[in-house]
Amino acid sequence: MTLIFQNIRKQYGSNVAIDDVSTEFVPGLIHGIIGPNGAGKSTLINMTAGSYTVSSGAIVLDGRQMQSLKKYEIANSGIARTYQNIRLFDQMTALENLEVCYYPTEVGATWREVLWPPFSRSQRERRREACMEILRFFNLQGYATAEAGSLPYGRQRMLEIARALVMNPRVLLLDEPAAGLNHHETAELTAKLAELRSPARIMIIVEHDMDLVMTLCDRIVVMHHGKLLFQGTPAEVQANPDVQLAYLGTANDIDEIRAAAQDRRAKLGIRARQRS
Amino acid sequence: MSAADTPAAAAPRTRRIIPFLVFALAIALLVATPFLPNYHIRVINGLLIYILLGIGLNIVIGYAGLLDLGFVAFYAVGAYTYALLASPQFDLHLPFLLILLIAAFLGMLTGILLGIPVLKLRGDYLAIVTLGFGEIIRIMMNNVDWLTGGPQGIARLDKASVFGIEFARPVEIYFLLLVIVFTVAVLVWRMEQSILGKAWAAIREDQDAARGIGINTTNAKLAAFATSASIGSIAGVIFAASQRFVSPESFTLQESVLIVLMIVIGGIGNILGIVAGAAILILLPEVLREFAEWRILFLGLLMIVLIIIRPAGIVPRSFGPDKLIRGLFGK
Repeated sequence: MTLIFQNIRKQYGSNVAIDDVSTEFVPGLIHGIIGPNGAGKSTLINMTAGSYTVSSGAIVLDGRQMQSLKKYEIANSGIARTYQNIRLFDQMTALENLEVCYYPTEVGATWREVLWPPFSRSQRERRREACMEILRFFNLQGYATAEAGSLPYGRQRMLEIARALVMNPRVLLLDEPAAGLNHHETAELTAKLAELRSPARIMIIVEHDMDLVMTLCDRIVVMHHGKLLFQGTPAEVQANPDVQLAYLGTANDIDEIRAAAQDRRAKLGIRARQRS
Repeated sequence: MSAADTPAAAAPRTRRIIPFLVFALAIALLVATPFLPNYHIRVINGLLIYILLGIGLNIVIGYAGLLDLGFVAFYAVGAYTYALLASPQFDLHLPFLLILLIAAFLGMLTGILLGIPVLKLRGDYLAIVTLGFGEIIRIMMNNVDWLTGGPQGIARLDKASVFGIEFARPVEIYFLLLVIVFTVAVLVWRMEQSILGKAWAAIREDQDAARGIGINTTNAKLAAFATSASIGSIAGVIFAASQRFVSPESFTLQESVLIVLMIVIGGIGNILGIVAGAAILILLPEVLREFAEWRILFLGLLMIVLIIIRPAGIVPRSFGPDKLIRGLFGK
């Protein structure tokens, strides 16, 4: 099982967002996609999940072309995603957010569920238990009956990943999972994601947090201006001069930026970030 | 510490008493209805029909989050189905239950026919198209004289009878309605709790994310339209059977708006809310009959006040039938 991008391209009018990207993602590994803002990272995720159409080229999962399928069909063939801006079902409880993912497999039994109470009871019991287990994995069991929209931001991020996991996906796409999280939450997220690595699952993470990417990812794809700039292991990516120039900056640059930021903070009277 | 505890402890108790009182009042009214004068029974029958319509429309508006302003079309489909199949118009006299099934099916079909072209629309656009659809059906009923009798409508409809028991007098219609409303309410509530109901909620919350978890939103929405329309159609059959006369006048845009108002005032997405909303909008004008010319002004004021003090409706979505049952029978 592999996920293959074959010369994929995304064009809005004359504006080329993704230009002839070909690469391959394999199960058991965590793949990272990095690059500056506007490089096309999220576009790749959106095309893979069917949120955007593909202008040309093919996305192939397990020998099957995905790019012409509808979004729900893509989801049902085992590609689950999270969103850059959290998109939960806000007024449903955390538990319901997960339970509803059973729709594709259980909608056929709706009439039985409506008309035959013993069946619906066992059906719901089983569904709830499976979802609670995933909530427990993310330490969200305490929020099971809380409305998803009322959860703290960091918990919402976790819940969104939990929702993607309920679908038991073969491909898990995470679009900036650490965005907006504090240090503590990012560490927790990193640990959880590491546990999700499975020989039956392809994981792809788009992320700006380089600590998380370098810690977690086995392979990294670097995007720049819609083109694939480089791909390799974290060490190779960090050592590559093109990547440094385009995105990471040289060691000196990074030190300079850090120093400048500290300077600015000091001038503004902002104390160093405190986390307890 | 103890001073802070008292109001916190008192709040749940009042919260439990108020629904109990309202519930007791409703039961008392239902028990007393058969002993009231015919006129009053007719009013209650009207109320029950509107509750049925509200339950139907709420599936589309409250559960799936699609604003449908042409619901009265399905009501008309049901009413005319009965009128055409149980009257001297074509000298057809099919049994009531059979017509009920036919009407439910035709309603479902009409619902899907309306649903297909509007699937891609949401919000205002959907509202306008469905509003147009409602008018199209009414105008058609008004003009296809050979079929519907035009503006004169169809009169002398058969009395409804089920297994030889006749349902013609208001009190008989009342019992028929009571059974149908209760059955439909229970089924629809169970539907809301089912996986399909959860999918409707997901579509309401975020359609695109719903597709992202594998929900075929086209099918789920069509299921909502179809179920909702067939309930509207069933309500139409009973309406026609109780009036024993139908004409296009009964199916104006105002009716659609009234049903939407019931849902919004009562509590969108909640069957209990619909009962409350219908009770207020149908019974209050009757109680305030002497001030009939003030009715619209009063309705406007009521809406303003409710929007300010209870924006989620009289009975909000969070207080569903399950909460009521748990509140009444403990646990």
